Amino acid sequence: MSATTSGTLDAKKSPMWSSGHGHDVISTKTLGFWLYLLGDAMMFTALFAAYAVLGHAFNAAGGPWIRTVAHAGVAFRETAWLFASVLAYGFAMMALKKGNRGGVLLWITAALLIALGFLAVDGHEVMALFRMGAVPERSGFLSAFFTLVLYHGLHVVVGIAWMLVMLVQVASAGLTEKVVYRLLNLRLFWHFQAVMWVFMFTFLYLRGAIV
Amino acid sequence: MPMNSLRPKGWLRLLSLLPLGLLGGCAHRRGGDEFWMLDPRGVISATQDHYLALDVLIMLFIIVPTGFFIVWVMRHYRRDGGRGRHDARWDHSYALEALVWGIPILTVGALSYYSVKAIYAVNPYHPTVVVRAARAAHVKNPLDIDVISTDWQWVFIYPKQGIATVDRLVVPKGIPVHFRLTSATVVNDFYIPQLVGMIDVMPAMRVRQSLLVSRAGTYEGYSANFSGAGFSWMNFETRAVSRAAFRAWVARVQGAQAHLTYAAFEKVARPTINVHGRVAYFSRVQSGLFRHVVAETAAGKTYPTPMAMTENMTRYLKVQARRDAHNRD
Amino acid sequence: MFVHIDGPWSPLLGRLALSEIPYNNPILIGTFAFAALLAVVLVGLVTYLGLWRTIWRDWLTSVDHKKIGIMYILIGLVMLFRGFMDAVMMRAQQAMAVGPHSAGYLDSPHGYLTPYHFDQIYTAHGTIMILFAATPLLVGIMNILVPLQIGARDMAYPYLNAVSLWLTAAGAALVMASLFIGDFAHAGWFGIVPVMELPYSPGVGVDYWMWAFQLSAVGTTLGGINLLATIVKMRAPGMTWGRLPIFTWASLSANLISLSTFPVVTVALALLALDRYFGTHFYTAGLGGNLMLYNDLFWIWGHPEVYFVILPAFGMISEIVPTFSEKPLFGYLGMVLASLGIAGVSWGVWLHHFFTMAASPAVNAFFSITTMAVGIPTGVKVFNWAFTMFRGRLRFELPMMWASAALFFLLVGGLTGMMNAFATNDYMVHNSVFVVAHFHMMLLLIVYAIFGGVNYWFPKVFGFRLEQRFGKMFFWLFTAGTAVVFIPMFTLGFMGMTRRLAYVAFPQWGPLLDIEVVGIAIYVLSAVFLVAQLYVSFRDRAKNRAGLDAWETSRSLEWMTHSPVPFYNFAVTPEVHARDERAWRVARGVDTVRPERYEDIHMPRNTAIPLWLGVLSFGLAFGLVWRMWWLVEVCAVAIIALVVIRSFDHDTDYTIAAKEIERMERAIRDVPSGRPAADDVIGGVPAFRQGV
Ligand code: HEA
Ligand code: HEA
Ligand code: CUA
Ligand SMILES: [Cu+2]
Repeated sequence: MSATTSGTLDAKKSPMWSSGHGHDVISTKTLGFWLYLLGDAMMFTALFAAYAVLGHAFNAAGGPWIRTVAHAGVAFRETAWLFASVLAYGFAMMALKKGNRGGVLLWITAALLIALGFLAVDGHEVMALFRMGAVPERSGFLSAFFTLVLYHGLHVVVGIAWMLVMLVQVASAGLTEKVVYRLLNLRLFWHFQAVMWVFMFTFLYLRGAIV
Repeated sequence: MPMNSLRPKGWLRLLSLLPLGLLGGCAHRRGGDEFWMLDPRGVISATQDHYLALDVLIMLFIIVPTGFFIVWVMRHYRRDGGRGRHDARWDHSYALEALVWGIPILTVGALSYYSVKAIYAVNPYHPTVVVRAARAAHVKNPLDIDVISTDWQWVFIYPKQGIATVDRLVVPKGIPVHFRLTSATVVNDFYIPQLVGMIDVMPAMRVRQSLLVSRAGTYEGYSANFSGAGFSWMNFETRAVSRAAFRAWVARVQGAQAHLTYAAFEKVARPTINVHGRVAYFSRVQSGLFRHVVAETAAGKTYPTPMAMTENMTRYLKVQARRDAHNRD
Repeated sequence: MFVHIDGPWSPLLGRLALSEIPYNNPILIGTFAFAALLAVVLVGLVTYLGLWRTIWRDWLTSVDHKKIGIMYILIGLVMLFRGFMDAVMMRAQQAMAVGPHSAGYLDSPHGYLTPYHFDQIYTAHGTIMILFAATPLLVGIMNILVPLQIGARDMAYPYLNAVSLWLTAAGAALVMASLFIGDFAHAGWFGIVPVMELPYSPGVGVDYWMWAFQLSAVGTTLGGINLLATIVKMRAPGMTWGRLPIFTWASLSANLISLSTFPVVTVALALLALDRYFGTHFYTAGLGGNLMLYNDLFWIWGHPEVYFVILPAFGMISEIVPTFSEKPLFGYLGMVLASLGIAGVSWGVWLHHFFTMAASPAVNAFFSITTMAVGIPTGVKVFNWAFTMFRGRLRFELPMMWASAALFFLLVGGLTGMMNAFATNDYMVHNSVFVVAHFHMMLLLIVYAIFGGVNYWFPKVFGFRLEQRFGKMFFWLFTAGTAVVFIPMFTLGFMGMTRRLAYVAFPQWGPLLDIEVVGIAIYVLSAVFLVAQLYVSFRDRAKNRAGLDAWETSRSLEWMTHSPVPFYNFAVTPEVHARDERAWRVARGVDTVRPERYEDIHMPRNTAIPLWLGVLSFGLAFGLVWRMWWLVEVCAVAIIALVVIRSFDHDTDYTIAAKEIERMERAIRDVPSGRPAADDVIGGVPAFRQGV
């Protein structure tokens, strides 16, 4: 049987042209952002794969290895900063739900400042490592290690810049459709980098404590 | 208008079939010995050929009927002049769909079985066909050869014999030869079409390959993996000789003047395009040279390609010739 | 911080010195003169015809998916031509440089190309053909067709769509720039490490390759997101998954591949960049690097990529065959599953590109089996096409000719692919011209599908059909050329000839190489007929005007709107009732039912920002290639600034009143037989020109 010829529809009765039908802008934009995150997750996966391949003692080429460079203690502090920032952003979203523009501004500012705290700890740690000679060009292992750390750091920087832009837009334009879907996408982004951090914490720092 | 389109350009269609004749034609013109791939002279290459034939046969069993069926359908159901009955509604049949999925699944199953068998038979780390053939012939002492590829030459080291060559491989017939291979610079493929398939030769890594030649003769070997400007000249003649002849050859090389220390190796490994296919022999090889090269490469040793050398080949070759002349004394 | 490179460097020009312009190479000077002449003629022509305004307003700043698609296709055709020229040069070199006694010209010991130059040519050829010819051509076709096939007004993100286009264009421009400023990579289209590392490639060639690749990868990833979201979100009412046109299914499968694997190659190349710019050790042989990591990362993208390009090609064949068989596609569900199956399996086969790397037999066995498993869904497709024709009423018009020929390429390419997949065979033929011939069968299949698709949908996009007589001459000559080039290549594979040889050491390969040159000559001849076909089609466009359904037996949604398609696609979004909506309506005699009333339409406004982003990306990449840090900084800052500025733009859409739509629809319809007047055809139909 042919799909073309079958069917219970009566052609003479059913409408040929739709009468008004729009697409939901916010859900369309959010879907796109989910798809982007999928791609970004693949990038992280590839970097983790590179780290897995280059993570052996042999790849340290006689230089500092995981025990020397990955400190679970520092990472734990970083985790605290990061999750506090995510929490603050969550409060911003609750304010958004209530349509409370002031609350959104307040909590995003909080999330932004806390994220800066994360960057400070992260940057401090990286600089300390650099000073002790653990630089990316020392060995394959360090190349992979720093690339992951810095790629995650880049996400935090982008998130902070994005929050800045959103602060201005919320303040100037209010909670318009465009501003709202951007806030929602930023929430996804902010959660995403936190999830990636969990993987980093496990595979870089905890492993460093165990090995 | 549509269908007659196939007719007037008949000569063109014939033309497109013409090259098919080449497949047969060339094989006969010079007795077929140019088809290295189909003319195996070693145990491994013979095994590979055996499975190649099997694979192609099974595939042709599907592909050829499919091809003929498509041609038949195209002729039979063409609108202008075809005899087929048009049925504008037929687009589904459970029986056919079962067949359409079933045939490929079964075929792939069979092919997979043979593929796995073949992979283990010629596994470079433990080629069962070589092991078995050696056991059957009661050969006890395999020959070990270390292979180091450089930019763009091959260094063959015979550790037990204490000799080494550049761009010339000589092996005895009927005795398993075990290779250890590495590269001092970039990746090459070690390949002797009539004797053994390709294996990647990688810097700071060691791989293995084996060989069991069944017929004496001269075979071409070369790198099959692009490695830079001198790649096209990276050939080594392989001579498979009788055991006696091999012993004689070893004795002769043992009389060579040059020794292969690591310092001498570094000279050989300087980027060199061996356009004239020059062969070099060394007696006395520094012990552990192979392992030393692997370790040095792993520690970051490279032999950089000078930027200027490849842009003007003719000038470069002159420089190289001068350098060679200088090195000789 | 940056790794030190020998040679001159200045703050203003970076590594770029006058000597980098290859003014002493007659081949390049000739090419440059030709390109310059062409540019002058084009600029003159456009100025003479007074088209600058139109080009800027209606094309360069357009966000219309059809125009973006057309621009993608133009890029693809130009690059196809460039790739073809590269092929001609390679074939000439290999025919000349045979044996130690062959003559040498232009600084080369044999033939007329030094190894250095020859290596750049095959690298450029492969890179261009795959990333800047096949990919843009297919992305362009998907861009045009997918929204039409699902009854959407545009893509989900029209602005992003333009960004993707201009990123791809920037990549293509970078490849072209490398021709005249500096040089290109010489490590093959998939890149070989550590050949690409600084000690072995100190020049800028690898950087050009890397950044051009990167731009196209990012562009294609964004395009993939866009197409996926479009298919999920923008379908017309009634367009259920079970009714989705088969080409759209193919696009969906293809873009699942692109979204999931292009990011991996982005990483693979980024790590290479780190090695080359910061001296890290990802792919170096020493100091803890691992060059096999590159092979894995690259081919995790590289293999799926070839299915990314073949799936839309399969999709086009699946649309063309039913139309010219006057019959629905056989086994729709099977076809859908096969497409998704090919996409699914494609992630698990990458290692077959380095079976010879001495992995353990268990690993090779696994990948050998998965690779062969791709033959199952592909076989389903072949059989289903055959059964679609079975009991059909076949008309061998041009699109059908290209599509049917493609089937035979699939058989040959599939047979040889299955030979490679059998790992022990691959030990013999890996890196031989046998593999080269295998993948050209497959890639030419794509070219065939593209030519078929272009002939098929041309009337939909431009309103007139392509001429058939010259078109058929082109088809047969192209096919003859393919046979004469590639059958000897298969033969040479069995004779042991490896690929990428700048010099052919074994003279017995010579005669067959000579025959391949004959094939090239036939190709060149065929291109003449292609140009003739295009010219005559344009000249006689009035005669060849097409109605809604140019082929009378077309089946899917895109054939229900005008040809050429107005910028809003459908005046009113159609209700979908069946899998082949147009065929369904025709069968019930309701295909002429018109909308009762029109409604306002929301459209995205044109914008020049994507174009500027493309220009700036080009500048960024060019700066990186030559290490002109100031240019890098300026462009990077400007890109970020533009993105932010755009986010403050609230005026990105506009509305067309229902009355205006009605007026435009009537203007189109009132021309006799619903066909627009001749002179209005190219962009001239009021409705085809984008409103402001
Ligand atoms: C889509 C991909 C694609 C396509 C279509 C082709 C097409 C062709 N290729 Fe290519 N090729 C590759 C992808 C492709 N190739 C890749 C990936 C490699 C590997 C590179 C590497 O080793 O790194 C390769 C390598 C390769 C080699 C190198 C072999 C070696 O390593 O030794 C050769 C040598 O002959 C070759 C030849 C050809 C020829 C003769 C064609 C012919 O089929 C060309 C026919 C095309 C035409 C005739 C074009 C017609 C159209 C026009 C002229 C456009 C007209 C334009 C307008 C009207 C605007 N190819
Ligand atoms: C569009 C491009 C395209 C497509 C579709 C394919 C399809 C396939 N390819 Fe190919 N391939 C390339 C492009 C493509 N390839 C390129 C560019 C390279 C080299 C890159 C480089 O090195 O530069 C390459 C290289 C390549 C290699 C590595 C060779 C080497 O470097 O040593 C292998 C090995 O397994 C391989 C296998 C296959 C297989 C099994 C298929 C299968 O998908 C084929 C499936 C089709 C069929 C099997 C025919 C139809 C089926 C039937 C009629 C039913 C009956 C069939 C059965 C019962 C099985 N390909
Ligand atoms: Cu693979 Cu070394
Ligand atoms: Cu593949």
